Amino acid sequence: MHDPSSLPPASLPGVTPGAHRSGSARVGLRRVLCGAVLFGAISGLARAYTVTIDADAPQTIYLQVGVGSFTADYCGGTTYPPPHNTPNCGPAYGGGTPQNNATINLVSTTVASAAVGNGTAQAMTTNSTATNSYLDGYTFCSVPGQLYIGGFFRTAGATTAAAQVTATVPAALTDAAGDSIPFSKIQWASSGLGDTGAEPFPAGTFVNGGVQNVGSMGSNSWNESCWTFSYLNNTVPPAGTFTGVVLYTMSAP
Amino acid sequence: MIGASCTVSRPAFFLGLALGIIWAGAAQSKTITLDDSGTTALDPSVSLHWKSPTPPRSGADNLMVGTTTIRVRINVTPWLRRTARIYLALPAQPPGPIGASWVAQGRFLSGQVQSGNRMLIYTGPITSPFLEDVLQLQFTMDGTRIRRAFPVTFHFEMDEG
Repeated sequence: MHDPSSLPPASLPGVTPGAHRSGSARVGLRRVLCGAVLFGAISGLARAYTVTIDADAPQTIYLQVGVGSFTADYCGGTTYPPPHNTPNCGPAYGGGTPQNNATINLVSTTVASAAVGNGTAQAMTTNSTATNSYLDGYTFCSVPGQLYIGGFFRTAGATTAAAQVTATVPAALTDAAGDSIPFSKIQWASSGLGDTGAEPFPAGTFVNGGVQNVGSMGSNSWNESCWTFSYLNNTVPPAGTFTGVVLYTMSAP
Repeated sequence: MIGASCTVSRPAFFLGLALGIIWAGAAQSKTITLDDSGTTALDPSVSLHWKSPTPPRSGADNLMVGTTTIRVRINVTPWLRRTARIYLALPAQPPGPIGASWVAQGRFLSGQVQSGNRMLIYTGPITSPFLEDVLQLQFTMDGTRIRRAFPVTFHFEMDEG
């Protein structure tokens, strides 16, 4: 038990006295007067305490394209005890905390000389190893055929406009000789194991240089898709290795 | 005349008795807010953080939690040598439903309460002028209701009767 003499003043910041409360009973003149005096003595000292509450770091955004990083593992959501042995649980046995991962994953294809420009789309593969959702450990994408894209937009307060994810796309993929293939020759389909309905990051085709929207995330929900890229292969470029880098950006209101 | 006078006074007696019973019933339900002016919060404010940093797919889990420590000191001098039941009351208040749970150090009972309700925090004899304890208090609230810093008010009360 603490020493009352060491108590700090009652008027600390964030701790303020509130309104008094009162009540009475009407029971004859003498009783009314006595009750009023007694009650005045009590209610004059009564207090209600007000603690100021605010949201700490009310906004958090996370975007993962390809591999990502989390500090903790899924341990069964709000189920306690966790349904399986996972020693590194996230808060409340839910998901972990997102971390930065600077890895740039590669999506590529090699077109056989006999097939160049024949109009048959060529499937592209990725060096990303991301198959499981960091939300709950669910195996969502399959590699090397699919590239994971997902994330969330955590915000306190009322529901806001969705966060937008854009791709900044160069005009073309280029090789060492200066030859090029327009980025619009690459498209992607969108799906996810067990998914039904619309994907948050739908299918699309790259623009030839510029910024294009590739999906959106509503506040306070996890969003994820698996992209399957393909090269349209309907032109005949010079032989070579063509590369280009697409930058994905998430913007929250 | 005498007989008539007796007939009139008897109903008056019963009426007075009935009023007395009604008044006594009302007095039992009187709730008094206690003098806790000696209570202090050791943390000036409470910062809420997401209970789960990652949201679910459904968007249904938006709880935020935050803790503070308060030294409770309630003046119970008027009730010395009596038995009391003391409650922590958390009135309904904006911006919306809020929960509070606390762990006491032994003098008070640990518990939890949702706004708009109260929870018993002490029951027993009053043997000293002040009841004191330290509470580790945790607030829980739907984060989507928090638009800015807001005050949460609570108090201690007892039913006198």
